[in-house]
Amino acid sequence: MLLDPGMDLTLRPMKYPHFFDRFKDAIKNTWTVEEVDLHGDLADLALLSDAEKHLVSRLVAFFATGDTIVANNLVLNLYQHVNSPEGRLYLSRQLFEEAVHVQFYLNLLDTYVPDDKERAEAFAAVDNIPSIARKAEFCFKWIDSVFELRALRSREDRRAFLLNVICFAACIEGLFFYGAFAYVYFLRSRGVLQGLASGTNWVFRDESMHMAFAFDVVDQVRAEEPELFDAGMEQQVRDMLAEAVECEVQFAEDLLEQGVSGLSLSDMRQYLQHVADRRLAALGIDPIYGSTNPFAFMELQDVQELSNFFERRVSAYQVGVSGTVSFDDDF
Amino acid sequence: MTLTPQKAGVPEQRRHVMQVRKRNGDLEPVDVNKIVKAVELWVADLDEVDPLRVATRTISGLYDGASTAELDKLSIQTAAELIGEEPQYSRLAARLLAAYVDKEVRGQGVASFSQSIRYAHGLGLIGDGTAAFVARNARKLDDAVDLRGDLRFEYFGLRTVADRYLLRHPHERLVVETPQYWLLRVACGLSKDAREAIDFYRLMSSLAYLPSSPTLFNSGTRHTQMSSCFLVDSPRDELDSIYERYHQVAKLSKFSGGIGIAWSRVRGRGALIRGTNGRSNGIVPFLKTLDAGVAAVNQGGRRKGAACVYLEPWHPDVEEFLELRDNTGEESRRTHNLNLANWIPDEFMRRVEADGDWSLIDPSDAPELTDLFGEAFDEAYRAAEKKAVKTVKARDLYGRMMRTLAQTGNGWMTFKDRSNALSNQTGEPGNVIHLSNLCTEILEVNNDDETAVCNLGSINLGAHVTAGGVDWEKLRETVRTAVVYLDRVIDINYYPSQQAAASNPRWRPVGLGLMGLQDAFFTLRLPFDSEAARSLSTRVQEEIFLTALEVSADLAASFGPHPAYPETRAAKGDLHHELWGTQVTQADRWAALKEKIAEHGLRNSLLIAIAPTATIASIAGAYECIEPQVSNLFKRETMSGEFLQINTYLVRELKSRGLWTAPIREAIKRAEGSVQGILDLPEDVRELFRTAWELPQRALIDLAAARAPFIDQSQSLNLFMAAPTINKVSSMYLYAWKAGLKTSYYLRSRPATRIQQATVTVAAPAAPVSLIAAPTEAELCSLENPESCEACQ
Repeated sequence: MLLDPGMDLTLRPMKYPHFFDRFKDAIKNTWTVEEVDLHGDLADLALLSDAEKHLVSRLVAFFATGDTIVANNLVLNLYQHVNSPEGRLYLSRQLFEEAVHVQFYLNLLDTYVPDDKERAEAFAAVDNIPSIARKAEFCFKWIDSVFELRALRSREDRRAFLLNVICFAACIEGLFFYGAFAYVYFLRSRGVLQGLASGTNWVFRDESMHMAFAFDVVDQVRAEEPELFDAGMEQQVRDMLAEAVECEVQFAEDLLEQGVSGLSLSDMRQYLQHVADRRLAALGIDPIYGSTNPFAFMELQDVQELSNFFERRVSAYQVGVSGTVSFDDDF
Repeated sequence: MTLTPQKAGVPEQRRHVMQVRKRNGDLEPVDVNKIVKAVELWVADLDEVDPLRVATRTISGLYDGASTAELDKLSIQTAAELIGEEPQYSRLAARLLAAYVDKEVRGQGVASFSQSIRYAHGLGLIGDGTAAFVARNARKLDDAVDLRGDLRFEYFGLRTVADRYLLRHPHERLVVETPQYWLLRVACGLSKDAREAIDFYRLMSSLAYLPSSPTLFNSGTRHTQMSSCFLVDSPRDELDSIYERYHQVAKLSKFSGGIGIAWSRVRGRGALIRGTNGRSNGIVPFLKTLDAGVAAVNQGGRRKGAACVYLEPWHPDVEEFLELRDNTGEESRRTHNLNLANWIPDEFMRRVEADGDWSLIDPSDAPELTDLFGEAFDEAYRAAEKKAVKTVKARDLYGRMMRTLAQTGNGWMTFKDRSNALSNQTGEPGNVIHLSNLCTEILEVNNDDETAVCNLGSINLGAHVTAGGVDWEKLRETVRTAVVYLDRVIDINYYPSQQAAASNPRWRPVGLGLMGLQDAFFTLRLPFDSEAARSLSTRVQEEIFLTALEVSADLAASFGPHPAYPETRAAKGDLHHELWGTQVTQADRWAALKEKIAEHGLRNSLLIAIAPTATIASIAGAYECIEPQVSNLFKRETMSGEFLQINTYLVRELKSRGLWTAPIREAIKRAEGSVQGILDLPEDVRELFRTAWELPQRALIDLAAARAPFIDQSQSLNLFMAAPTINKVSSMYLYAWKAGLKTSYYLRSRPATRIQQATVTVAAPAAPVSLIAAPTEAELCSLENPESCEACQ
C-alpha cells in the first residue's frame, strides 16, 4: 500500500502509472525565470495608487516565503511517506518547480524592491507582518503535526499524514495560493504588472498540478484504505479549511484595507469561501459555505489564452516533443 | 515601491451606506438608481442587457470613499465581465467607455474635431501640415464626424483604441481625441482635400477597412512613420556593418516598425578572422546583442520592439541558431526577444526527402550563396560543398527545425526559391529577396544599401458579406480606396533610416490584406475546410488582386509607373498568377488590365500581402486575417488587460435553438471553447463551429495554396496542432512546401497541462483508482489528444 513504510524501488511493473504520467506532463511545462520579463512592471508600479501599492507589497512579501514553506514540507514529510518510486519521481519534479518559484519570487523582489532594508523586511514578513505571520503559523502547525513521524504504522499516523497532505494541497496551495492568484489576476485583468502575471501564471500552472497530484495521493489512499476516511477525519478537514479561510480573510483585510476599486473585501471573502467549498467537493465532503464565485475576472482564467506576440510571450508551448521525421503522418 | 505600515481594524464595506467622492471633493451616498440611469442611456437596442444587474454588481466591487471616476471605470469593467453570459454587454461596455473618453476629452475644453487638432498641435503632437489642413477645412470636417460611429465598436476593440491609439497629453496622459476624431485625423494626414478625407474617414469608421497600426498611430502626427514592415539585408561579414545594423534596427523599431533581418552573410563559429588571426565566435553572440537592442526599444509605450532573424540552413551556426529560443541552457546563448525564421532553398527540402547529406558552408568561403536562388543557387551550393565546414544528414537538421517549431512555435519555415521565382521584383538578375519580414507576409528585394519597406492595410471581409453572399461591388470600391491611400503613404512617410528611404520610392510596394475570412464563412455557413469555402476564399482573393492591379495601373497612368518598373516581371508581361500558372474567373477584365499595364505600367511593384492583423482585427471586431477561429470562447491578453472573446455567431445559433443556457455555457468552458461535445447541436452546426485545433491542417494549407496565386507577396499562415509530434509536424511542413507556399508563420500548440479551472464545477473524488489506470473516455476525447477521438475528426 502507498503509505506502508519503506523504500520501494521497483518501477516495473508499475503500480501507479498515473503518478508517472503526472511526472511526464510536468516536464513538458518546464519554464525558467529568465523567460519572464519584469521590465514593464517597474513603470506600472510607479503609477499604482497607494492602496494598490500596499496590496502588491503584501502580496510579494507573502510570495517571498510561501513556496519555501511548501518545499520544506515536501522534503520533510511528503517524500518520506509516499512509498512509490513513480510518486517520488513526481515529488522530485515538484521540488524542482518549487525551487524555480522561489527563484522567481526572489527575482521579483530584487526587481520590485530595490532597497536592501525593505527587501529584508519583505523576507522577514513571516515574523513581522501579522497577517502573513498568522498564515505561516497555520502552515507550521501542520508541518509540526507529523514532523516526529518516521514511519506511518498506525491508523492514527496515517490519518495525521493525510491531514498534512490535505492541508498543503487544499489549504496552502489550494487556498492561500489561490487567494494570491485572485489578486494577481485582478491586476492582470486591469492590464498592469504583466511580468508578475506571466510568471505567476506559470507558477499557478505548476501549483495546479501539485494540488492535483496530492489529491491523487489522497484518492489512492482512500481506495486502498477506505477505513481511514471516517466522520472524525471529515470533521477535521472541514475545521482545517474553515481555519484556513479565516487566515486568508484576515490577510485580505490587510491587503485591501485602503480600498481597491473592483476588489471589495466582501467579494474576496466570498471568493475564498467558494474556493474552500471546491476543495471540499474534490475530497467528497459537503460544502461549508455554499458561496459562488463573485469574480468574473477569474472566469477569464478558465479559457484558452491568445496573446499577440508583439505584446506577450506566449506561454502555451510544450517542452519535450517526441517523434522522428516522417512524411506521411496525418495532420 | 514603499512598504506601507500595517493598520488594523478594517470596516466591512457594506455595513453602512457607501459613499463616493465627487470630482469637486464632496462625498455623496452611492445611488443604485443613478448608475441604472447612466446605463439605460445606452441600451435602447440591447434588449438582453439588464441595467440593474450592472449597477448592483458595480456597487458590490466598490469600496467606501471611492471617487466617481473609479465608479465610472468600475461600471465599464463590470459590464465587460458579463460578456461571457451575454455578448450584448460588450456593446454596453464599449458605449460606457466611449462616454468616459468623451468626458475626458471635453473636460479639456475640446468640443469639436478641429479643436482637438488645434489643441493637440499646440501640445506638439500633430504635424504642421495636418494642423493647417484641418484649420482650412474646419467646418466641413467638424460636420463629417459621425456621432453614432462609436456604437459600432465592441468593447475589446474600443478599449484597445482608447489605451493605445488615441493621442494623449504628454504630461497629464489624458486622451485629447475621441475615437471618431482619431480616425478623421488619420484620414486627414493622408488626404489632399476635405472630400477625400471625409470619404476615407467614412470607410474606416464603418470598420470595413483599416490601415495597419503604424498608420493608425502616426498619420497626421509629427512623425509620420506609417510603415509596418522593414526587411533589412544581412550585415556584411564585418564588424562595422554589424554595428550599423544594430543602429538601423533601433531607429526602425522606435517608430513602430517590425523588423526582419537576415544574418546569413556573417561568418560562423570557428571561421578565421584575418585581421587578428583569431577565430570567430560565430553569430550567436551578435544575435544576443541584437536581442538586447530590440528589447530596449519601446514603441512609444504602445508595444515592444520586435524583430525576426532569418538564416539559411547551410550556415554553419544553424544548429545553435535553432536553440536560441530554448528555455534551458546557457543564457548567454539565448535570445528570448528575437523571433527566428529559416530561409530555405529547395535543394535542402529535396535532400530531406531523398534522405541525403547536407553541407554546412561558411559564408566567408562562399559569399555568393546568399545572392542566388533557383538553379543558380543549386549549382553554386554543390560547387561550394567541397569547402563544407561540416556535413549533417538533411533529415536530422530538418528534424531539429521541427523540434524548435513544436517547442517554441518559432523557427518559421520560409522558402527562398519559391519566394524569389514568383516575385514581380526579381525580373532582373541581381534583384534578390533575401528574407521575409517579422510576420512572413512581405517578400521584397533588398540589399546592403536598400532596406525594403511595406505599408499595410486590411479589408474586413465580414463587412462585405451578408447571408446572401459577397457584395462584390462594395468589395471593389473598398479596394479602390484602400490602394490609393496605401500608395500615398509612400510619399508622405517618414523614413527612419536612409536605407529605407532609398528603397521605397523605387519600388513603391504596398500590402493590401484581408481580415474576417472566418466571419464571412460563419455568415455564409461554410465549414472552413469545405470546397465552397476554398473556392470563395480564392474568388475573393482574385477580386482583390485584380482590382488592386487596376487601381495601380490607373495610378501609373496619372503619375507614371514606379521607377524600377522596367526591372519587374510585369514589365515583361508576366503577372503573379500567370507565373503561378493558375486559372482566372474573370478573363475579360484580366485581358483589359493587361492592356492597360502594357500601356501605362504599374505604380506599385507589389500590392497584396496578408498580414496577421492582430490588433486591427480586434478594433474592427473581426476574426484575424485568413485564420479559423481559435476557440468559441477564449481570452485575449494584451497590454490593456484580459478580454473574454466569445463567438457571437455561435451564441446566435444557440439562442435560436434555446440552448444558450448556463449548463451549455459551462460545458463550452470546460471543453476550452469546443462545441464538439454538445450533442444537442446537430452535426452540421458542430462542424461549422470547429476551432483551429479541430480542423485538419491540410485544409488550411490547401486554402492558402489556392488563394496564393492572387497574392503577389505572401500570407502570414499560422498552423495549429494541440499536441505536436515531430512526425506530424515534419509531414505537415513538407506538404506545405510541396503545395507551393512561399512562407509559413507560427506553429501554435497548447500547454501540456493547465491551471485548474476555478469556476467550473468540481468533479467529486474519482472512483477508486485501478492499479493499472486506463484512460477514461473523457481523457481520450479531450482536445489534448484529438487524434484518438473519433468525434473530433
